[in-house]
Amino acid sequence: MEGAGVSRRLRVGLLSFAHVHATALASTLRQLEQVEFTGIHDEDPARGTAAAKEHGSRWHETLDGLLEASEAVVIASTNVDHRRYTEAASAKGVHVLSEKPLATTVADGRAMIDACRRAGVQLGVAFPVRSSPAVIALKEAIAGGGLGRIRAVRATNPGQYPGAWFGDKRLAGGGAVMDHTVHAADAIRWLMSDEFARVQAELGAFIYGLDVEDCGILSCDLAGGAFASIDCSWSRPQTCPTWGGVTLHVVGDKGTVDVDVFRQALTHYDDTTGRARLVGWGDDLTARMVADFADAILAGRDVPIDGEDGLRALEVAIAAYRSSEAKQPVAITALQA
Amino acid sequence: MALRVGILGAGFAGAMHARSALGLEDVRVMAVAALPLDQAAALAKECGARVATAEQICTADDIDLVVVATPTHLHAEYATAAARAGKHVFCEKPIARTREQAEEMVRACDAAGVTLAVGHVVRYFPEYRRAKRLLDDGTLGRPAIATLVRGNFSVGSAREWYLDAAKSGGVVLDLMLHDLDTVRWWFGEPSRVYARRFTGSGGLEYALATIRYDDRPIVQIESSWAEHSGFRTGFELRGDRGMLVHDSRDASPLTVQSPAGREGPAMMATPALSESPYRSQLRDLFARIRRGERPLVDGHEGLRSLALGLAVIESADSGTVIEWKAPA
Repeated sequence: MEGAGVSRRLRVGLLSFAHVHATALASTLRQLEQVEFTGIHDEDPARGTAAAKEHGSRWHETLDGLLEASEAVVIASTNVDHRRYTEAASAKGVHVLSEKPLATTVADGRAMIDACRRAGVQLGVAFPVRSSPAVIALKEAIAGGGLGRIRAVRATNPGQYPGAWFGDKRLAGGGAVMDHTVHAADAIRWLMSDEFARVQAELGAFIYGLDVEDCGILSCDLAGGAFASIDCSWSRPQTCPTWGGVTLHVVGDKGTVDVDVFRQALTHYDDTTGRARLVGWGDDLTARMVADFADAILAGRDVPIDGEDGLRALEVAIAAYRSSEAKQPVAITALQA
Repeated sequence: MALRVGILGAGFAGAMHARSALGLEDVRVMAVAALPLDQAAALAKECGARVATAEQICTADDIDLVVVATPTHLHAEYATAAARAGKHVFCEKPIARTREQAEEMVRACDAAGVTLAVGHVVRYFPEYRRAKRLLDDGTLGRPAIATLVRGNFSVGSAREWYLDAAKSGGVVLDLMLHDLDTVRWWFGEPSRVYARRFTGSGGLEYALATIRYDDRPIVQIESSWAEHSGFRTGFELRGDRGMLVHDSRDASPLTVQSPAGREGPAMMATPALSESPYRSQLRDLFARIRRGERPLVDGHEGLRSLALGLAVIESADSGTVIEWKAPA
């Protein structure tokens, strides 16, 4: 696995199993050579004990128990709980890797950053798209000038409706926009070394009868003059052969690039379920992301994706909601004022 | 009695329509015009037609229908002249460069009692027709979100007038207009439009538009003159009961390779069909004219799609959301 040869292992715990990514995160924490998986705490003890058993990991009855055993925690809770878990961890001097989005409000995200800064711990955010070799190659090509000036990006992060609390505004902070905008927004910021300046969005709750949006198209202006769109919709039917995907269509003065992050997949025609499924065989992006976080903490470096990155991506999602209500583009500075 | 056709323009569209007409029964291509005139010679010879000026074709006694396939900014002048001489007009899309020009064409054709048809050929592409059927019969449920993409290499590198927005309207009136017309055909009239666009050197141009319907669906259209490997189309159409996906790059039953590599003619992505959509378009139009029926896409309909394209340009230029009201 990643990080072979490190001399010391980072003691990392997993906070909450509410998020659909928690299973992959638990497997990752168990497998990484540079990580000692200290166990699981969950606000739902039944779910948490079952998960601990399944992953051969220790169950911590109390939050403090897990924090005392850990140097860092990965937070895989509902979005709204990111803040309180981050504040609890930082108060105990424990580093944090938070699932995305960073928080459900700009104020909560800012509070998380401030809490970690005051405590002298690091705050990382889970944006695994940055770990894709294809995306990294694109970043290097852009930085090297090979594509000329980047003028436009059309990003998509469609998915199936995840169910559970993801459609509950109190716990998720919104719907598809909250869930899926931030991956693409972070990738675009990182690839272009630029910031979002303005967001226009059309949103709708059309497919699942939810109180939150399941469809959304964002049209964004970047500070450097390029523009980008993000399709964050939960538009993939349950019969779709895969959960969704992340694509980037990048148009530069000298070239056009298409990235399909999860294109590396076998097609499995499965008579036992009566449908076809895609079985990915590309790099394990979650493992690479957690490894990069752990390596940085162990080496005393800044984590590669920090709370400010998380907040910038969250601002794009918040601006989308504002724009949808106003039926006009919204400046990012209007959120910061 | 044969329908006698004159062709204005010997570029991509003129040649396509001339060749499409040639294969039809009871149709004769009589004359071909181009600027400069000698560029019409090869196509005229292929069609067994004479070379003539556009002015001559618009007034010739032996021509019943004029195909206007000139650069966009010249459509109105010739279409109007042909109508005044009592000829039916089939005009390549967009109907015209400006709304005023389009309105003048509609008025002239209505006054002369001749047919004005606009070449929104996507309405004859079977993949788009099949999608329309699945929408109309409820198979997809209520449409929620649709994405349509259309790209080509920089056409202006081959045809300079495309690079002059005052003549062509750029990528929005060239490529996006197909999808704007398709969206109107599929879903009806939208309520508002927002778009971003850039123009680069070497004929690069790229636009993204979001088209919002009063309730639903949300539509995104991507139109690119930066698709350097050549022409492509695609769409994703999600209703509350299912989703349709089309990608022309995965739709050809025929793949040709050569030692020349990827440098090949444009439009190779069109799936091989027993009859091309361009020929289907003319076959249907000519049959309707003979039966005295209105064309599938008449001048009023072409004008509405043009106006939507102009609203996209207005939004892209101003950075504001444009409320959409279709012309009558």
